[in-house]
Amino acid sequence: MATSADDPVLTPPRSTTSDDRPVRSAVSSREEQLEAYRNIDMVSVPVIVLLFGGITVFLSAVTVGDWDYWMDWRDRRWWPLVIPAVYIIFPAVVGTFTWKKLRLPIGGTATMISFVIGAWLSRYFNFHQFAGFPMGFVSPSTFIALGMILDATLVVSRSYFFTGLVGAFIFGFIPYAVNWPVFALWHEPVSYHDTMVTVADLTGYQYIRTAIPEYVRIIEESTLRTFGEAVTPLTAVFAGFVCILNYYVWVAVGSYLSESHWMKKVI
Amino acid sequence: MDIKIIQKHIALLSVLLISTFICSEMALAHGEKAQQAGLRMRTLNWFDTEIYPRKVSVNDTVTIKGKFMPSKDWPRHMESIEGTAFLNIGVPGPAFIRTDSHVNGVTMIRSTAFELGKLYEYDVTLKARTPGRYHVHPLISVKGTGPIIGPAFWVEVTGDQADFENTFTTLTGKVVNPETYGIKASIALHAVWFVLGVLWIAYWFRNARKDPVIMPRFKKIEKLGQENADQLITTQDLVVGASTFMLILTFVAAGYFITEYRIPQTVPLQTGIIKVPPMENPNDGLLDIVVKTAEYRIPGRSFNVEMEITNKTDKPLSIGEFSTSNVRFINSKVKEVLAQDTHDLVASDGLRVPNNVIPAGETVTITMYAEDALWETQRLTSLVYDPDSFFGGLLFLYDDEGKRYYKEISGLIIPSFV
Repeated sequence: MATSADDPVLTPPRSTTSDDRPVRSAVSSREEQLEAYRNIDMVSVPVIVLLFGGITVFLSAVTVGDWDYWMDWRDRRWWPLVIPAVYIIFPAVVGTFTWKKLRLPIGGTATMISFVIGAWLSRYFNFHQFAGFPMGFVSPSTFIALGMILDATLVVSRSYFFTGLVGAFIFGFIPYAVNWPVFALWHEPVSYHDTMVTVADLTGYQYIRTAIPEYVRIIEESTLRTFGEAVTPLTAVFAGFVCILNYYVWVAVGSYLSESHWMKKVI
Repeated sequence: MDIKIIQKHIALLSVLLISTFICSEMALAHGEKAQQAGLRMRTLNWFDTEIYPRKVSVNDTVTIKGKFMPSKDWPRHMESIEGTAFLNIGVPGPAFIRTDSHVNGVTMIRSTAFELGKLYEYDVTLKARTPGRYHVHPLISVKGTGPIIGPAFWVEVTGDQADFENTFTTLTGKVVNPETYGIKASIALHAVWFVLGVLWIAYWFRNARKDPVIMPRFKKIEKLGQENADQLITTQDLVVGASTFMLILTFVAAGYFITEYRIPQTVPLQTGIIKVPPMENPNDGLLDIVVKTAEYRIPGRSFNVEMEITNKTDKPLSIGEFSTSNVRFINSKVKEVLAQDTHDLVASDGLRVPNNVIPAGETVTITMYAEDALWETQRLTSLVYDPDSFFGGLLFLYDDEGKRYYKEISGLIIPSFV
């Protein structure tokens, strides 16, 4: 791409009002314009991260929150399906905007970084400090890899279609594998009064949650029983297909939202 | 609007808001009486509840034990306890940890189901974790209905949470301390992906100090149009993108397989139902009680029941207590029971029973009056708002040696508005 030194688009614009009176631009020199553009660069990504951090944490809370709040909810059938199906929404929408307007494949990564930051803040201050749960038990899962996969696929293919087919599929396929280095610790078996449970189950039993009786956990319930112990890969493949569809839907939404004509008048 | 008027309004609102904090009571308990009266009266009859000791230090043990009987007249409009239920504890968060729990000797780490009209004995062992003063309840959560709360007592915990200790051992011999378990692994995993994510974004802004990124690209795309906008993607960008794609998949696979190698023995999260056989009820067949009429006065604080009691024991019996919704109405002429703390729902002289003798082997019609402010303060009078005007509770009778007999009573109930 051309540098700022010879890029004609950096010439400060001259504009007029509707009755043809000249309006003075806010910037009067190339240096001032460059400075303004640098400020926009410096502010934009942190703003996206902060803004979408709160929004995605809220989205998670009202949809699939419990599945990622507690280690004893992160099972093999529901968590790998519902989490990526919901979490692909903002990477798709924001990623469409950043690609369409800027050809920057950073939407997925930025929104997932923002979500993870927001999730850590929420778990630490709300669940650990205020409510008193052990931090390891309520620590969030990581999803940054998922956002990066979407962005990398988009820049290589330069196609929403191909990104959906491959990138979104992988987005839905890999969350459990990405987080297995942590999940495995909580799936080690324990014998509790001759009942086999996992470390996560026993921790959930010990650390009292009055509003979460054991049966409330939506885990391991499903009709896909014909593949024996190959539950996780099967769910991951299914989640991949769900994410493909979801990606296309939310790219369409993002595309529509990116077309706001007032943006051109402001910028 | 004049700015001074606005300032006055803001000042007035601030005073009103602050006064709500000053004037309101601190909420110390859980709003037990907010539940529907019918839910509290006709679901579980809790009795013989003990919670001890009441003052402990961090790491000390607290025991909760007692009995309960699911009502044989469980409300039809509520999901039954015969479906799915779980023995739980009502405390504000993990101020205690639960180290053990049983119903009729069966470990209660799983969900279960209970039969209506049967007798169950439970015990829960807690370990104090967080200093403070807590209103501790046993409770049973019923799927589709919610928590059915039992009687509660205040427990005070002293000490320092930093001294709390809790460990258990896995089947592979690893000692786990849930307080700190898994934190390092979680932070490490997040740190790796956070750094990679930031590097990815940093790549696209690598020359931002010299060449701003966002605005120039935006304007360029406006000029080129969407069909030609891909010109902004360089060969280097494609190589970095493809490499990142492969790197991510490699990292994910490596993380997964290294974990499988280091922690080969894992099992899925466990869930299931466990059966609990009911206890033998020692009172079965010894008493027959038929409720004839029942009435409660809305403006007042009384409830009366006329019932026919058949005494099949070999000793004369007297009514000593009527328990409903965790409120105990005591007949002080038969037994003495005092409230153990400020929130113990005991009406020590709340039961009046004229002609209170049921001779052995005979059937007698008795009218019992439960009269105490607790009837109103515990919002049992809100029974009038229930869709099914039906009361329930446990009646306790005693012989002259103090031996106790108990039986559930229930029936239709009519409000009196006079």
